[in-house]
Amino acid sequence: MTDLSVEATSLTKYFDAFTAVDHVTLKVPTGSIYGVLGPNGAGKTTSLRMTLGIIDPDEGSSRLLGGHKPQSVRHRIGYLPEERGLYPGMKAREAIAFMGALRGLDWSEGRRRAATFMTELGLERVIDEKIRKMSKGMAQMVQLIGSIVHTPDLIVLDEPFSGLDPVNQERLEMLVRRERERGATILFSTHVMAHAERLCDRLAIIARSQRRFEGTVDEARALLPMQVRYTPRDGGDAVAALLPAGAERKGEAWHFAIEEADVEPLLARITASGHGVAGLSIARPALHDAFVHIVRQVDAGFDATPEADAIEEAAA
Amino acid sequence: MTPFIRNMLVIARRDFLAIVATPTFLLFLLAPLFMIGMGAVGGVGASQLADSARGKGRIVAIAGPADVEALRAADSRLRDALGRERPPVLEVRLAGADAADPLAIAREKGSDTYAVLSGPLENPRIVEREAGSGAGRYLALLASDVLRDRAAGPVAPAKPAFEAITNGGTSIAAQQSMGFGAVFVIFLMTLLLAGQTVSSLAEEKGNKVIEILAAAVPLESVFLGKLLGMLGVAILFIAFWGLVAIGGGMAFAMQADPATIAAAGKPAAALMVAPASGWPFFIGVGVCYFVMAFLLLGAVFLGVGAQASTVREIQMLSLPITIFQVGMFSLSTAAASAPGTGLAQFAQIFPFSSPFAMAARAATDDAKAVHLLALGWQALWVALIIYLSVRLFRAGVLSGGGGWKFWKRARPATAASTVSESTSAH
Repeated sequence: MTDLSVEATSLTKYFDAFTAVDHVTLKVPTGSIYGVLGPNGAGKTTSLRMTLGIIDPDEGSSRLLGGHKPQSVRHRIGYLPEERGLYPGMKAREAIAFMGALRGLDWSEGRRRAATFMTELGLERVIDEKIRKMSKGMAQMVQLIGSIVHTPDLIVLDEPFSGLDPVNQERLEMLVRRERERGATILFSTHVMAHAERLCDRLAIIARSQRRFEGTVDEARALLPMQVRYTPRDGGDAVAALLPAGAERKGEAWHFAIEEADVEPLLARITASGHGVAGLSIARPALHDAFVHIVRQVDAGFDATPEADAIEEAAA
Repeated sequence: MTPFIRNMLVIARRDFLAIVATPTFLLFLLAPLFMIGMGAVGGVGASQLADSARGKGRIVAIAGPADVEALRAADSRLRDALGRERPPVLEVRLAGADAADPLAIAREKGSDTYAVLSGPLENPRIVEREAGSGAGRYLALLASDVLRDRAAGPVAPAKPAFEAITNGGTSIAAQQSMGFGAVFVIFLMTLLLAGQTVSSLAEEKGNKVIEILAAAVPLESVFLGKLLGMLGVAILFIAFWGLVAIGGGMAFAMQADPATIAAAGKPAAALMVAPASGWPFFIGVGVCYFVMAFLLLGAVFLGVGAQASTVREIQMLSLPITIFQVGMFSLSTAAASAPGTGLAQFAQIFPFSSPFAMAARAATDDAKAVHLLALGWQALWVALIIYLSVRLFRAGVLSGGGGWKFWKRARPATAASTVSESTSAH
């Protein structure tokens, strides 16, 4: 049985008539990087808040770091909320030390680690700068450091990449990987697929308040068939008989989707037929495509239900 | 140190420094100067009022028929000689067959009787409201002047026997005054300082730090830490002005001439008047009750303020908060003026007036164990208010509810749950 750092089961939250989170289950293996993906308003943040015990679920439960209640292992958790928050009058070093002190870290040790982290991230020139004088991105990096300064076992980051420039996004990715190498478990939410694709060992996709997918990145991408672009050497239409239904000709090339298992038999048929190969690309769909596919599928299903109108009215 | 207390101190330290290490705090600290200035202006007005009211007081001489006119004539002479330092109006009463009771006359309602002279003018009995008062000395002088006026040659002055209205120990009236003083001082300090807690969570809500705090530490320690931070500011404020007062007093003593110091000794003599529980206990328990009053009222204001979602709402809360404080003050002063009554007992038990009323009780009642009980009772209420405030905050504000609508139960929707899970690899 896999060791789980997060075991949130059937989390549900109602805000008046609106079901913000509907029986969402998250199981994050220890030492992994786990992404929670979803469109805006899907319920990611509420799910994370319930997972951490910041708000109480109306249904379901959350156990962290070996079956403990979230409140009892607060000091072993680092959390970067979606809505960034720092005291504007504090200096960066003090802000980081303060956040560490909240989790039980000694103030002086917090200040020392703050300087180390900020130097590593190229922020040494603003160590003693007040937060109010910093750019949004810098303040965000300070808060991020504050959430990991006490070397937590579980790091929860809610939309950590939003608001960061590409350089800082790369720094953040590096930091996340380094924390994982240290042994920490990282759970983060995002709606930017590229980060999830590069970082996540496993991920969950939440749409319309429910978890719609859970698995690895490859498993998500495998939800869609391979995308093939084939250009026969002879250029004729006769090759169409060999291709799957729905193949579409654009100029000299044929475009079609095909299941992974059917790729090799198709190549064998083309070779045997003598049409030849002037060009061929077989691409696995990106996580982005899988995400869009899942979300659209859910939206289509939701829009078709008569209850959708009731929700719209209630929300209005 | 437990994690809860450590967390609470981290929050308190942050709040304390955030308040104290700002230029605004200097303004806050020096604010009493404005109050003193206003007080001085008011004092001039009050002094003028007191001057005009002085004529409503009286001194009484109970004399035989032969002495009545002589006393009036002597009063007229002396009064002219004294100029602006005139004593209260003299009322001369004819001694009847039944000996008039000067104590009863001194306590007659309808006018302030400062002193009553009775008996033979050679050895009069003078009952004073306050021992050593000018009014009593004036009556003695009056008797001597009548004797001197009648005598052909030198005459020995009258030898009065002075007697204060109360004998032995401190009068109940004085102790009640002390009780009122305790209520007033605690009220004034909490009025100035505890009301600030209403907006102390606004910063965290405004800059979104509250979510970090809620994730990192129990909200109870956040609330208590904030209260302690503000209490620290209050104690710093009081310590500053206490030191200013002591320093000012010492500087004055060093520069004043001996006669002035001797005069200043008169108020010090007032300290001979002691509260029923003794000065050390009274002061000690008074400090404890100030802390409890601050924590109790501060916890209520903090809890209410935490529910407010805008600065405007917080501003609107200041009026009911002030009225609430004044209400507790009124209840406690009424209790202080009627010790041992049902009203006093109610004020001592009602948690929000309890610190004030119990401080007043320490002035008039020598029982000490009851204060431990009262402090425990008040601490229990502080804990209860914090607990309820946190519950409301979690349910209403932190959960994204509608602030004040914490009592509304969430109703599950049906539609969202009808969309079944579409895909799951595991």
